[in-house]
Amino acid sequence: MAEDLNTLSNDAFRLRWREWLHANFPAEWRIPIVHRLSGENERRWHRMTFAAGWRAPGWPKEFGGLGLDLEKQLIINQEMEAHCCARVLDSGAVLLAPVLMKYGTDEQKARYLSAILRGEDLWCQGYSEPNSGSDLASLRTSAVLEGEHFVINGQKIWTTLAAYADRIFVLVRTNKDVKKQAGISFILADMDTPGLTVRPIMNLAGEDELCEIFFDNVRVPAENLVGEIDQGWTVAKALLGDERIANGAPTLPRQSFEMLEQLVEGLGQIEDLGVADRAAVLLCDLHDLAALHSQVADAAIRGEIDNAVLGLMKVLATDLFQRVTDELLRVAGESAGLVEPVGVGGLDMDLRKLFMVARPSTIYAGANEVQRNIVSNMLMGPAAR
Amino acid sequence: MGWRVDNDLQQMLRDSARGYLGDVGGPSHARKVRAQPDGFDAAAWAQMGEQGWTGVLLPERLGGSDLGLEPALTLAEELGRSIAPEPFVSAAVIGASLLGAAHGDRAEALAGELAQGGRSVTLAWQEARGTLGFGNFATRLTNGRLTGTKLHVPAWHSGTGLLVAAASADGPVIAVVNPGTHGVMATAQRLTDGTFCADIVFEQVAVADDAIILSGDAARGALALAIARGTVVLSAQLEGLAGALWHMTSDYMKQRSQFGSRLSDFQALRHRMVDLYAEIELAAASWRAAATAVEAGDLSGVAVHAAKARCSQIAQDMGRWAIQYHGAFGYTDEADVGLFVHAALSWSSWLGNPAAHRRAAVVAHRNGKAGHG
Repeated sequence: MAEDLNTLSNDAFRLRWREWLHANFPAEWRIPIVHRLSGENERRWHRMTFAAGWRAPGWPKEFGGLGLDLEKQLIINQEMEAHCCARVLDSGAVLLAPVLMKYGTDEQKARYLSAILRGEDLWCQGYSEPNSGSDLASLRTSAVLEGEHFVINGQKIWTTLAAYADRIFVLVRTNKDVKKQAGISFILADMDTPGLTVRPIMNLAGEDELCEIFFDNVRVPAENLVGEIDQGWTVAKALLGDERIANGAPTLPRQSFEMLEQLVEGLGQIEDLGVADRAAVLLCDLHDLAALHSQVADAAIRGEIDNAVLGLMKVLATDLFQRVTDELLRVAGESAGLVEPVGVGGLDMDLRKLFMVARPSTIYAGANEVQRNIVSNMLMGPAAR
Repeated sequence: MGWRVDNDLQQMLRDSARGYLGDVGGPSHARKVRAQPDGFDAAAWAQMGEQGWTGVLLPERLGGSDLGLEPALTLAEELGRSIAPEPFVSAAVIGASLLGAAHGDRAEALAGELAQGGRSVTLAWQEARGTLGFGNFATRLTNGRLTGTKLHVPAWHSGTGLLVAAASADGPVIAVVNPGTHGVMATAQRLTDGTFCADIVFEQVAVADDAIILSGDAARGALALAIARGTVVLSAQLEGLAGALWHMTSDYMKQRSQFGSRLSDFQALRHRMVDLYAEIELAAASWRAAATAVEAGDLSGVAVHAAKARCSQIAQDMGRWAIQYHGAFGYTDEADVGLFVHAALSWSSWLGNPAAHRRAAVVAHRNGKAGHG
């Protein structure tokens, strides 16, 4: 089946994927925005898509992916959005695999890529530390080479879904005597290695997806190094440019705007001019963001990527997501103060969770303030210190 | 219509526009026009005619180049960057769209003059200020006599050609009216971009049969297309203006120092500039989407309204922050910033301001959902 997908027209491809998705996506997972597949559910999804020939749309065929062009990859996302699918993180396929394909040894590729495809291995990304968030390059978790092993000591934090992961890819300091970016290495570790402990952190949305990870003399085979020693910063940046387009996608603001419209209708506020005026601002923001996103995606398909506009879109999309969820609470009146979901127009709407899920979007993947710093450097030149 | 990508024709037009406007356009030209008694530089208009800009939307049979909407938008962006007070939108887009759809000697003669840059053309259609689109006109043409009042007729000057939209027994009509005809009483008012608009009273003005260049459904359709095109092209002009003002402000911030630092080194100011730049990117994306919609026949959907709302808003916002970041100097008439801010005031309020277009967008969105639901 993987053979013919690329030869299909985009419309035919869209229909093929939609048909399969609607027939196979479990109804209990059709919870947009607030729900994310994890653990056994995530494994099940990967196995389902693998068995049906839909796994790893962006991977080259030589590694077992579908080798789809960016347009068809975006179609897959669009259809999942339209079908109100729960989010899937898929750190192994999305975040790690591009790095392994570019810098991994043949042994690493053989050992890890196939297990990701089959849903056997779930991965987590060990980047942030308690004192290294937006300023990631200042990280201090250390790895010291002793014979055939790296010995890792330190702490990672905000590691998404670490409690369900089988393995972790982690950025560690292997050299303290050079510029901070130059002394970092990219290392793979099994989560059941002695000395490695995970502590989930309860967040404001009531989820324990984010975790702390403690490394206490964790011994990892030296062959788990990806790329050269001290070159981890460069290795980590091998993440496909295409993926960054997803950070600026209007998916979450659009889905929450649709909920806002249902809520406005359900509460009989459709004639309210204030509500309409505020909805008008959000509608135009959403329309224009979608226009920008699709035009930039088209440019990316032609091979023209502009880093400044990608950073801007992340800021715009996450800011809009928050403003829409703010408006949901405003329209909801006293219902905004309820812990349990609100029944509106036959819809159970978890307003509190929607509001809370929107909070970290302006913090993760480069806090919006950091994005503004980066973009301002591109637009106005670096600021003097 | 792609993100910041010109085809060969657009690139050629953009280069020649930058060359020409860089030499004779821009702030000094805007100052000159605002000092002229009728706010119109016939020589500049003629030069734009020579370069084919005034006939960009006119069919070849009328002396135009029939290049279509995309090249017109490219020109508009550049005209906006140089705050050109020439009546590109009112004449070369709205006027030309009507003349291009019309037939007969009168339309052909006027179109020919427009294509050469020998004359500009304006359309009198509004009967209230701040209207979007049109319904039934109160101005009527009955038995060869035109009676009624039109407001805010743009690009008004002594030599302009005048088209008037009116109701008649045959439905809406577009008529060519000589402004010097007995019974035409125009009151001109200076606009902030240096040009004039006029409120015009028509009292039993004689209109010959051959002066009616469009009527009935043809008039209605041409009028809707002309106004939609004008709205999108004006949006591109506003986005061009905002972009130029952003760069002008950024350049100033790099050379102005206070407290021992360049203004461009202060993080709070840099972040504001990034946000303004993001709005300009949204504005450009929005008018591109609107142009695509208009080309596909969607003249009154969300896209056109969103575009005019966004482009008008960012032109105003960029103006406010440009003054702020130029400091007290930005508040002087000597600084060019004020010329851009003034042009933005009239361009952003003409053909619907941001609030009006946002409201229209949400109505169009709800109607669209009802239609498809």
